[in-house]
Amino acid sequence: MRINTKLLLAVASMSLLFTATAQAELNVFACEPEYAALTLALAPDAKVYSATTAMQDPHQVQARPSLIAKMRQADVVVCAGADLEIGWLPMLQMKSANPQVRSTDKGLFFAAEHIDTLDKLASVDRSMGDVHAKGNPHLHLDPQRMLIVAQALSTKFTQIDPDNASLYRQSLADFSQAWQAKIPQWQQQAKDLAGKKVIAYHSSFRYLFKWIGIEQVADLEPKPGIAPTSSHLASLLARAEKGDVMAIIVASYQDERGAKWLGERANLPVLVLPISVGGNEESKDLISLYDSILSLLNKVK
Amino acid sequence: MSALNTRVSILALACAVSSYSVMAEDSSLTNPNVSAVLDGYYQTGDRPLAERAEGFGLGETELALSANIDEMFYGKVTAIIESHDGETELNLEEAFIQTLAMPYGLSVRAGRFLSDIGYLNNQHLHTDSFSDRPAAYRAFLGGHYFDDGIRLNYVAPTDLYWTLGVEAFKGESLRAADAHGERDFDNLGVYSALTKMGGDIGIESSWQLGLSYLRNQNGQAYAEDEHNEEEEGHDEEHAGHSHSASYTGKNTYIADVVYKWAPNGNYKYQNLTVSGEYFRVTDIFAMEPGHIVEADHEDISSDDYHQGWYVSSVYQFSPRWSAGIRYGQVDTYEVHGDHLHPQQLKESEVSLAWHSSHFSTVRLQYTHQTGTNFDGFEDDNILTLQYVMSLGAHGAHQY
Repeated sequence: MRINTKLLLAVASMSLLFTATAQAELNVFACEPEYAALTLALAPDAKVYSATTAMQDPHQVQARPSLIAKMRQADVVVCAGADLEIGWLPMLQMKSANPQVRSTDKGLFFAAEHIDTLDKLASVDRSMGDVHAKGNPHLHLDPQRMLIVAQALSTKFTQIDPDNASLYRQSLADFSQAWQAKIPQWQQQAKDLAGKKVIAYHSSFRYLFKWIGIEQVADLEPKPGIAPTSSHLASLLARAEKGDVMAIIVASYQDERGAKWLGERANLPVLVLPISVGGNEESKDLISLYDSILSLLNKVK
Repeated sequence: MSALNTRVSILALACAVSSYSVMAEDSSLTNPNVSAVLDGYYQTGDRPLAERAEGFGLGETELALSANIDEMFYGKVTAIIESHDGETELNLEEAFIQTLAMPYGLSVRAGRFLSDIGYLNNQHLHTDSFSDRPAAYRAFLGGHYFDDGIRLNYVAPTDLYWTLGVEAFKGESLRAADAHGERDFDNLGVYSALTKMGGDIGIESSWQLGLSYLRNQNGQAYAEDEHNEEEEGHDEEHAGHSHSASYTGKNTYIADVVYKWAPNGNYKYQNLTVSGEYFRVTDIFAMEPGHIVEADHEDISSDDYHQGWYVSSVYQFSPRWSAGIRYGQVDTYEVHGDHLHPQQLKESEVSLAWHSSHFSTVRLQYTHQTGTNFDGFEDDNILTLQYVMSLGAHGAHQY
């Protein structure tokens, strides 16, 4: 009888424990896969959903039913910010009716708010193309900035879910340690890439190039957000034929056709770089994403 | 006292600063979203019940202002400037507030706004892929149905998107024709209930299904004894410009379906949208209360209903070009004195659009329309060349 009671108690407390962990499970909606990966590193127990893949341009996303349903259930929404998601995030917020993720005071997190973005503009005109006054939002390929974003995101998780503060503290410490150990290795790998010139699509790799010291001498887009035109590509051919360009670079979600056209005529290699986790087979998390990008760049130097 | 004042003012200042920091990322009262939509066209004929007339003209010029009002409310005003027959009209299409902080997935919208029934109705005209709404919208909702009222909406916390909404409206624009102007209309005329659900199929496809029911207290048309008066009333309605529905009934049922696809789910370069809606409007006609039904008026049946549907498919084959096809028809009845005349309108349409950027569209559209007893429309071919462009802040698009 005594044993039975004990057993009963044990079973009861176990089920309680499970319910408790199930409830405590943080539900995170990430706008881009790099922030889903960062969330997994910083909140290993969280239920994470990424609204986009590395094959989808985050500028143009449909505010589709599944995204509304996911945002409805989210405790935290993690996005790049700087207006990258301006064409769809406000609609999701409006339709999902989840006040928890409406403002950055609560469960909303914009990475760009926590670092200095590059290329801020004092005034923006549509004739400039699809530019962001708040600066370039593709900031996740700068290891130093990502470290600052990681610290801020960990603080956000602690704010929303204080019961698991120690878990978030420990995860951040683990991530930072692994990340800081990788930075000198990456710098070593990037050493020979400094000073190289490339033609690339959009300013998607702006932070990466600045960190490594690669110079983007021309853009496949005639203006930000405007797809390559034949007349613009023809003008790039003259630039490419000067002979100082290392490669033509496009991101995994960008159309390769313009780059291939130019590459064939100028006899330059076309390199498709994974823009984020899942952009190629090797990129399984943030560290392997950086590893893959650097090894791909080193192959064409 | 002064200490208290200081404390209060510091608090106020802190509030002001903190609320500014929250709103700074989005539109705020000092920086609301202001936008305008320009729409102009040339067209070689008239489509029945449509806003656009033959020749050069302007579509709806839209001026919109929206922002979060505070932590609890969002507000939007959309003014529409239209010119018809040399006269310029200013209409208010939207002037609503919406709650932002209600719990349990609930939200309330109040004021003047677009009803959420059907698929297209809650979308602005300038986002359409064809120059005019399908004939079913023009016939049963006056193009698009916006009105003064209130909506309560609920979104379920499920992975399958599921939303429920109920609305109540004044319903003036959906009133049945009243030739004598003496009908005692209900001033709370329209109620609606709707549900939508949707989800993804793999990474590349997504879908949404919707069912709506609209109850129109003033929708049933009354029979007329004087044939001529009805004719006059009808002509007047067609000659003048109006957003009112031409074919009404007590009950309207709408089913809608949308399917979207893009390679890898990447909408930037290529994508496909297929959508279709079906409308059935029942209890369209009744004898005026107190009217004695004569034996020879047998052709008025309570089973008669209006119906309409369309299917459209739009493919964006490059960031700069998209093409669409649409077929739609309406089968309606026209009241002639005390009996009903069946009518039909069929429209087959093809459109080709060029997008210089995300914000500008130039469209060429061809329509072949066939009408039976439809206000003299029989067999026409119409070409429309149209531009739609937006400037200023451009709000996020709906699905």
